[in-house]
Amino acid sequence: MALIELFDLQKTYNEAKIPVYAVKGVNLKIEKGEFTAIVGPSGSGKTTLLNMIGGLDQPTEGKIVVDGTDISTYKPDELINFRLHHIGFVFQAYNLIPVLTAKENVEFIMLLQNLSKSEREERAKELLEAVGLGERMNSRPSELSGGQQQRVAVARSLASHPSFVLADEPTANLDSVTAEALLDLMEDLNSKFEMTFVFSTHDSKVIKRAHRVVTLEDGKIKSDEIRKVIVKNEG
Amino acid sequence: MIFMLAWKNVWRNKKRSLIILTAIALGLGCGLFASGTMYGMWDSTVNAAIDRDLSHIQIHSENFKKENLIGNYIPDGLELKPQIEKMNGVKAVSVRTIIEGMAASATSSSGVEIKGIIPDEEQRVTSVAANIKEGKYFEGLSRNPVVIGRELAKKLDLKLRSKIILSFQGPDGNIIYAAFRIAGIFETESSLFDKSNVFVRQQDLFSLIGSKPIVHEIAVRLTTVQIIDQVVNKLRNKYKDLSVETWQQLAPELSISYETLDFELNIFLGIILFALLFGITNTMLMSVVERMRELGVLMAVGMKRIKVFTLIIFETIMLSITGGIIGMILGALSIWITAQKGINLSLFAQGLSSYGISSHLFPTLPVSYYPVLFIMIIVTAVVSAVYPAIKAVRLNPATAIRMY
Repeated sequence: MALIELFDLQKTYNEAKIPVYAVKGVNLKIEKGEFTAIVGPSGSGKTTLLNMIGGLDQPTEGKIVVDGTDISTYKPDELINFRLHHIGFVFQAYNLIPVLTAKENVEFIMLLQNLSKSEREERAKELLEAVGLGERMNSRPSELSGGQQQRVAVARSLASHPSFVLADEPTANLDSVTAEALLDLMEDLNSKFEMTFVFSTHDSKVIKRAHRVVTLEDGKIKSDEIRKVIVKNEG
Repeated sequence: MIFMLAWKNVWRNKKRSLIILTAIALGLGCGLFASGTMYGMWDSTVNAAIDRDLSHIQIHSENFKKENLIGNYIPDGLELKPQIEKMNGVKAVSVRTIIEGMAASATSSSGVEIKGIIPDEEQRVTSVAANIKEGKYFEGLSRNPVVIGRELAKKLDLKLRSKIILSFQGPDGNIIYAAFRIAGIFETESSLFDKSNVFVRQQDLFSLIGSKPIVHEIAVRLTTVQIIDQVVNKLRNKYKDLSVETWQQLAPELSISYETLDFELNIFLGIILFALLFGITNTMLMSVVERMRELGVLMAVGMKRIKVFTLIIFETIMLSITGGIIGMILGALSIWITAQKGINLSLFAQGLSSYGISSHLFPTLPVSYYPVLFIMIIVTAVVSAVYPAIKAVRLNPATAIRMY
């Protein structure tokens, strides 16, 4: 069984008046350990599809099964709980809590999971060391560069032991060198821990490294390219 | 960590938080000081009335309560005095002979209450002796000295050592006229009291009316007002035929004002908090609107709505309590500082004295006000936070992350 399964997924906005069909019947399976990029022009339904996979939006029709659980009928509060335990998020604008330190930002997710203080501290330290920020644990986001903030965001996304990480344009705010370094890190996490990454992106650097590229157009899958060869880390 | 996050969020926009904190602190500080002043005013008014003539407890014959006649005296009144003095908690006792009469000078006359007292004893119960502004308290004159109030002296155009004619009905119904000489002129907080009371020595009064010593009123001063009910009950059990009353029963208008003051001051502080409520709501609303994206992210990554709601409530409570505590410290400090020397309102003394209010007031506020106010602040904070918190939890995380 695949990690993420989408069955005839449809999303229509403004159904009663002038309906807008954002996603029109998408069928997709993403296996554990994949490094997948969902691409497509603006208005192709990329964001809507990603929101539904991430449990931030509900389909009008069809089914989303994540880790064997059908989340398409979940109520908003059930979805919040599901997101907390199954999905890690990395956003374009990092979106760290500015008043908390890097370590506290990572710990915060585990606090929501009611983990003990010692467990939280240990894992936050471990994750920040894994993303190369062992020395900056007590820095606030404003004291970190964009690349460093996004690394903290990656560490935060992994804090809850998620089934997969959803990364929405993670490199869009970074310069190319920093973006490459971040992708190195993600690739590393993918190969070491078999962590599944699903990207929504326009960035050629991400597309170049993806194991699989799903292209959307007008709410439908236009192409689904599975690459057998992974582009190697050159840095 | 939620507490820590809330506290850090409060200080995220320091300028904005400091503005609302200052508003809360000044609003409550000034409100408390105003309350302390009002409370001090009533406190000094009540204490002044107790010190002036009420004392803590008064005993009369039941008939005297109905009609102030010379014949309605307390049977064996003088003998009760040593018995009452021996009771626990009793500081001093004064026995008074009270006769309604007229005071006249060469130019005018006025209705007065003539109080026959034993000067040394009265001095221990009330403050007339301490309020002598001219002359001395029954000293310097050997025959028929009288102590009168400033207002009466003014009305009758009398000075120290002037002669004053007191007239009243004797026990046999005949009108008695007697000449007294002014030994001292007192001035209390109450112009009404100063106009309508004259004090003479009991022995002079007894020789004028030619009767055995009679007592109409026994005024009892206690060591502390806290034991008043206890002592009154004992006195009532002991002297079942007599009327035993506390100062509250003797001056219900003072007592009621004093009791309603608590309620009025709470309403006053409530109004201040109600006005602050809108300021706090506005600040929190700005804070929430500014953080739409962040709150959206928190919900996206798995923070439950109830926790987001609680976070906003905590932030508001912390902000309000910080301002509230500073305000309470400011209020308590200003009350304490001004209470050291008191506030002199002598500019308005004339107007105040007609209400029996002291022109020198000492602000004070019972400690019990502070916990009540603390709870009121928390309630205000929670009410202020509801709208911003609802706005926060109604966010759609997916939209909030992209739109803000």
